Amino acid sequence: MAEQGWKRIGVGLTLVWFFICVFPLYFVFVTAFKPPIAVSQGPTYIPFVDFQPTLQAFRDAFSGLRGDFYGPIVSSLSISFVATVLSVFLGTMAAYALVRFEFRVKLLAGIAFAVVSIGGFVLLEGVLAMSVPTALGIVLVASLVVSMAANRLPLPGPALGNRDITFWFVSQRIFPPIVAAFALFLLYAELGRAGLPLLDTFAGMVLAYIAFGLPFAVWLMRDFLEAVPIEVEEAALVDDIGRMRIFFQIVLPMARPGLIATSMVVLAFIWNEFLFALLLTSGQWQTLPILLAGQNSSRGDEWWAIAVATLVTIIPMIIVATILGRMMRSGLLSGSIK
Amino acid sequence: MQAAPNRGDAVKYAFIWPAFLIVLVVTLFPLIYALTVSFQAVRVVPPLPPRFVGFENYETILSSARFWGSMWTTTIIVVVSVVFQYVLGFALALALHHNVRGADLYRVTFLLPMFLAPVCVALIARMIFHPYLGPVNDALDAMGFDYVPFLTEAWLAIGVLIVVETWQWTPFVMLLMLAGLQSLPEEVFEAARVDNVPAWRRFVDITFPMLLPLSVAVIFIRLIEGFKVIDTVFVLTGGGPGTATETLTLFAYNEGFKKFNLGLTSALSFTFLIVVIVSGTVYLLLAQRLLRRYA
Repeated sequence: MAEQGWKRIGVGLTLVWFFICVFPLYFVFVTAFKPPIAVSQGPTYIPFVDFQPTLQAFRDAFSGLRGDFYGPIVSSLSISFVATVLSVFLGTMAAYALVRFEFRVKLLAGIAFAVVSIGGFVLLEGVLAMSVPTALGIVLVASLVVSMAANRLPLPGPALGNRDITFWFVSQRIFPPIVAAFALFLLYAELGRAGLPLLDTFAGMVLAYIAFGLPFAVWLMRDFLEAVPIEVEEAALVDDIGRMRIFFQIVLPMARPGLIATSMVVLAFIWNEFLFALLLTSGQWQTLPILLAGQNSSRGDEWWAIAVATLVTIIPMIIVATILGRMMRSGLLSGSIK
Repeated sequence: MQAAPNRGDAVKYAFIWPAFLIVLVVTLFPLIYALTVSFQAVRVVPPLPPRFVGFENYETILSSARFWGSMWTTTIIVVVSVVFQYVLGFALALALHHNVRGADLYRVTFLLPMFLAPVCVALIARMIFHPYLGPVNDALDAMGFDYVPFLTEAWLAIGVLIVVETWQWTPFVMLLMLAGLQSLPEEVFEAARVDNVPAWRRFVDITFPMLLPLSVAVIFIRLIEGFKVIDTVFVLTGGGPGTATETLTLFAYNEGFKKFNLGLTSALSFTFLIVVIVSGTVYLLLAQRLLRRYA
């Protein structure tokens, strides 16, 4: 009896939540087909009954009548595609190394890195008045050399293992992105002054988004790669096949479902990303979220136009969610929570 | 780690270095630069050479009412919406786990909100909560209530932001809790069912304690992610009315890009980072205590 009651509450809850999930999407969908009058005279809901649907808003948007619409679509598509592929690829390589090999970084070597990089930068930029990019470049090389040398010395103190390195990658997500985005903006501006334009360029955005996607890629791919049986690789090693070939010809094909799922997640995050795009682009490489955010102030109550732009931004993500939902049913994602 | 320890294999560096270098160059090194800027007074318009000012920027921030206001706003929005997300997400995961009819259809629909750009979600919310043209007020009107100025009244605007955050991120909690439920051993529940343990007792005594570590992790992720919120607020209220709904990230953005006060903005983002690290550590310590009591 009580079981029945709980079941009923469950059914009720899911039905209500289903409505809450779907209604806003339905509303924006029909709004894209509304003539202005169907918006300005209070809410209307059912096409052909409440209002006569029209394609005018789509025609306006795609004819470029109301500002460049193709530009942001092309930037969004190209930036997120290239950045996703590269970030998942590099993340998978790093994850593979973390799953199959053992790394040990001495804590003191890590501290040496921090001291040399921060201290060196303050010295070069602040005291010797070098330009920021030069100072950072020198400091980068110097601190890497010092810490790698330090790592070989028989230093006392604890050593960091693979878990810590994975955590280091993932911990990039703990940073409030405004810290990274703003710092990157300052650096890009400096580099631009030094003759390497990265603000509002394809390369600059892709570079930022690769770093943005890497934590997810490393984290998710590590779990997927751990599930790949090691025996095949061992057999290949016995046959003297190189690691690189093993990775490309054996590991990557075997991890395909994981690769697809990870790419979908990373793609979604990059496609929807707002803050980096807001800070690092100013016109030419503006992405869809920035275009949308601007619509709000420039269009006011022209909901049909806003709805069209929203739909264009949403539709690829509906496809992504559907693919992931299918994968979830086959139990693929349940492994990645540990 | 089932890996055979082949520590000498030099090829492992070729695998990890590209990713390592990118994070270093794009994330960590700019941070070093921003850290030094946070101790300087920098003016862009009109340009002035940077001048070392010590902790002055940090002092300005800590004595600024606007900073504490945005801190308070962010905390309220994040904590309240994460509570809703957790309760709703867990309840929905339970319902789906116990095979409510039509679970296949629900699964994809329920996932959708978290894949939409927060900017889109905020734009849709703007339509839905519009004082005269929006469906919510239309429904309230039909029920005989007055129109509610959702976005222009401070507390209502914060309420709307909480609703939007909950709408968008409940799927995330649901997804992970569902995965957790599916990984629980079936035998325990069978035994409890044979012993006629009522459903809610099974939940309180078995399911909830077993999923407590996962719950702690999920809530942690949502709190950290929630603290970053800017896009939703940027579009929905722009921080207004006044600065009533200004979150930390939005405040930092406004300082940096409207006033071009670079030193102050850098200091602000590092203060933000310290706040996140401190509150994250406190949360994890408290959570560990809770876990130990249950274990």
